[in-house]
Amino acid sequence: MAGVSYKWHGKLTPWLFILPTVIGLLVFRLVPIVSSFYLSFTDWSLLGSPAFLKLGNYKELFGSREFLTIILNTFQFSCIYVVGSIVLGLALATLINVQFKGVSFFRAAIYLPVVTSAVAVGIVWNWMLGPTYGVINNIISAVGLTPPYWLGDMKLSLNTVAFVQVWKMSGYYMILFLAGLQNIPSETLEAARVDGANPVQSFFRITLPMLLPTVFFVLTIAIIDSFKNFELIYAMTKGGPGNSSNTLVYDVYLNAFVYYRVGFASAIAYILLIFVGLLTIGNLYIRKHYAQPLD
Amino acid sequence: MNKNQLIAFRYLLIILVTIVYIFPFLWMVSNSFMSDKNIFSVPPKFIPDLLFSDTMFQNYKDVFTKYNFGRYTFNSLWVYSLAAFGQILVCSFAGFALAKMKFRGQGVIFSLLLVTLMIPVQVTIIPEYYLFLRLNWLDTYLPLIIPSFLAGAFGTFMLREFFSQVPSPLFDAGIIDGVNAYQMFRLIYLPQASGPIATLFIIAFMNNWNDLLRPMLYLSDRKLYTVTVALSQFQNQYDVKWNLLLAGSVLSVLPLLTVFAFCQRYIIQNTMSSGIKG
Repeated sequence: MAGVSYKWHGKLTPWLFILPTVIGLLVFRLVPIVSSFYLSFTDWSLLGSPAFLKLGNYKELFGSREFLTIILNTFQFSCIYVVGSIVLGLALATLINVQFKGVSFFRAAIYLPVVTSAVAVGIVWNWMLGPTYGVINNIISAVGLTPPYWLGDMKLSLNTVAFVQVWKMSGYYMILFLAGLQNIPSETLEAARVDGANPVQSFFRITLPMLLPTVFFVLTIAIIDSFKNFELIYAMTKGGPGNSSNTLVYDVYLNAFVYYRVGFASAIAYILLIFVGLLTIGNLYIRKHYAQPLD
Repeated sequence: MNKNQLIAFRYLLIILVTIVYIFPFLWMVSNSFMSDKNIFSVPPKFIPDLLFSDTMFQNYKDVFTKYNFGRYTFNSLWVYSLAAFGQILVCSFAGFALAKMKFRGQGVIFSLLLVTLMIPVQVTIIPEYYLFLRLNWLDTYLPLIIPSFLAGAFGTFMLREFFSQVPSPLFDAGIIDGVNAYQMFRLIYLPQASGPIATLFIIAFMNNWNDLLRPMLYLSDRKLYTVTVALSQFQNQYDVKWNLLLAGSVLSVLPLLTVFAFCQRYIIQNTMSSGIKG
């Protein structure tokens, strides 16, 4: 409030207000990030003190084929998730961007899996995708096709989990796109219609370009969320069969809390952090240099 | 196709898509009312055999008596209500300070909050686990409550956005009345924010309720389990009974669905305006 000489708060007051948040930031975010970095150079099982290994953990990781599989799996999961949730989210939003009585029921129904736990979602999909008793494979057989082993096949398990995750989260992306769509002035679309544009033309020539800022916003969120797949993997495949649906977040859990290789798990966590960081920076860069003129 | 057919086609498509999202829930409910024999039939039955029979709620009874789901639901309810309450308290103070006060380091704190929102929990969980281990807090609820109390970055972010949009005449009135900082927050800004704070409470509660990693790591005493971790351990049993497991899933989802049914308008509205998911 420029021009007001009266001071309504002292110098220390803001710090009192924000103190718990700053403590939380330090204790649960910044200190763990720094100490994970140190731990990633050690051999440790949570007991005793960590033994310094220099680059031992990283050398082991990059020398192992298993870890290469896990990195590729992480990448594959993220790609399916990001592309799937953006395409499906946009399609759903475009479809449901109409006004009629009861439309909020349909939106809420599609949003429902977002607020459901990954554990419950994993359980019901495991049941539906089961080889003998699963409803989906029974329908496929009834049509006369040979149903696959959705979760038991090394080639399929990761894709299956990724698609279930897309199903679970697409309602969220639908709402984000819906917010963007409703910001597009109806006069613009009306003008295009008057000028003789058909719905497909006006979608690709007007709606999509005007939606570009939303697309980039959603892209950022989708990339960040694409790594958060621990719970669904735990509920559906436990990373298996073999390592076929193991990803970085799941591998951190496995090494730290199942094998008690805490230093090794910290190294994996750091590689994950670098992954997330690089993708976020890359995305911000694209946003800054290519999305600006259309804002 | 003429215009009416196009509209009819669109509605049909909306209904079909909705079925894809609702079907797994219907399947979960219907199969939870099946007997052992009925659920393992090929091809699968759509109408459950226990429905409207004398033993209609047998699976649910078993889940409550043999698997203690009443206890787990109660645990989740009070622990996560407390955690969500702490989160709204801390986030509204922090959000207010970041939105309305000027101090050195403000920008740094805000950026750090935003950056930490992006980091998966697996990056920080190992040192966090070690901290709670050394504090001797394993098998207590403190590790589920304290991080939620102190590290609710999205809530701070959301309330900061809200507080900076409160119209300035209110602020000026406060200045004229000569209120201090706490009064400004408590009497002028907080009453305005009841909507967003209620929404934040529900979102925080839901996110915690669905959390698996922390309760799995920090609770090993069965009596202390939350619903989500109990369900997950139930699923891990090698001779799992699917009809009971699905009844357990229904029970774990039901409280959230009830809350969602009543508040979906606010939750979806909030997602639209702030991008935060419920």
